[in-house]
Amino acid sequence: MAEVTGPLFEALTLPHLSALYRLALRMVGDPSAAEDLVQETYLRALRSFATLRDPARAKAWLFQILSRLVIDRHRSSRREVPLPEDEELERFSLYQRIADEDPFPYSDDVHGDFLAEFRDDDVRRALLAIPEIYRVPLVLVYVEEMSYRELADVLGCPVGTVMSRLFRGRKALERELWDCARRLGFVKEWPR
Amino acid sequence: MSGMSCDEAVRQFFAYLDQAMSGTPLQEFEQHLERCLDCCDKLQFSRRVDALVRTRVGDAPLPAGVEDRIRRRLAAAAGDPED
Repeated sequence: MAEVTGPLFEALTLPHLSALYRLALRMVGDPSAAEDLVQETYLRALRSFATLRDPARAKAWLFQILSRLVIDRHRSSRREVPLPEDEELERFSLYQRIADEDPFPYSDDVHGDFLAEFRDDDVRRALLAIPEIYRVPLVLVYVEEMSYRELADVLGCPVGTVMSRLFRGRKALERELWDCARRLGFVKEWPR
Repeated sequence: MSGMSCDEAVRQFFAYLDQAMSGTPLQEFEQHLERCLDCCDKLQFSRRVDALVRTRVGDAPLPAGVEDRIRRRLAAAAGDPED
């Protein structure tokens, strides 16, 4: 069986290796951990290769395995990422915080100048700081430009759940960018 | 005033930016934007945040050696006698 499965499996799955690695890196941050995650994805895919009925779905199928590995690891690691209550998170507005704080009083474009302060690593760290349940769909949208229907397929949940996770994920990301700006010192949130 | 409120519009920002809206909801959202400059400014900011993230996370080339190591693991797992 291995003699038949091996070449066919590799022909269908290895063309997606670069995309899988890119996703894994943005989901876990560290190159070594990303490679481990990709290896685990391929090994799981190999073991369940018989369940792939439509070869045209190979890429989505691999993304599905990788995404579920990331989310399941979070569930089993007991690592808690503190997040404000849903309602507070959903009401958080980075736009409004910047307008209230006005960190660049002489700027004609205070919101644009605020965003221009972030380096590549700041943005990547902010993305890594949000919970996996929100980070995974966000990475799939940002890196792979997936549609909501494709996301629902990969994540195995209804489109409404995808929308809700993306909304909260973006709000969590905005909050992380604000916290990052405070750490970097270009906003201070003076008591009002 | 009838139609979509600002709170409701804000909840649709990301679906709009992700081009996941259509039909009546899209029409109502765009009608709201036509009469709400505040939401237009906020939507534009959300678009800029999205662009910032996309440009900072998109590129991540595959490091040398990863493909070879994965091929070896797969060969070993499949019981390939060459491995």
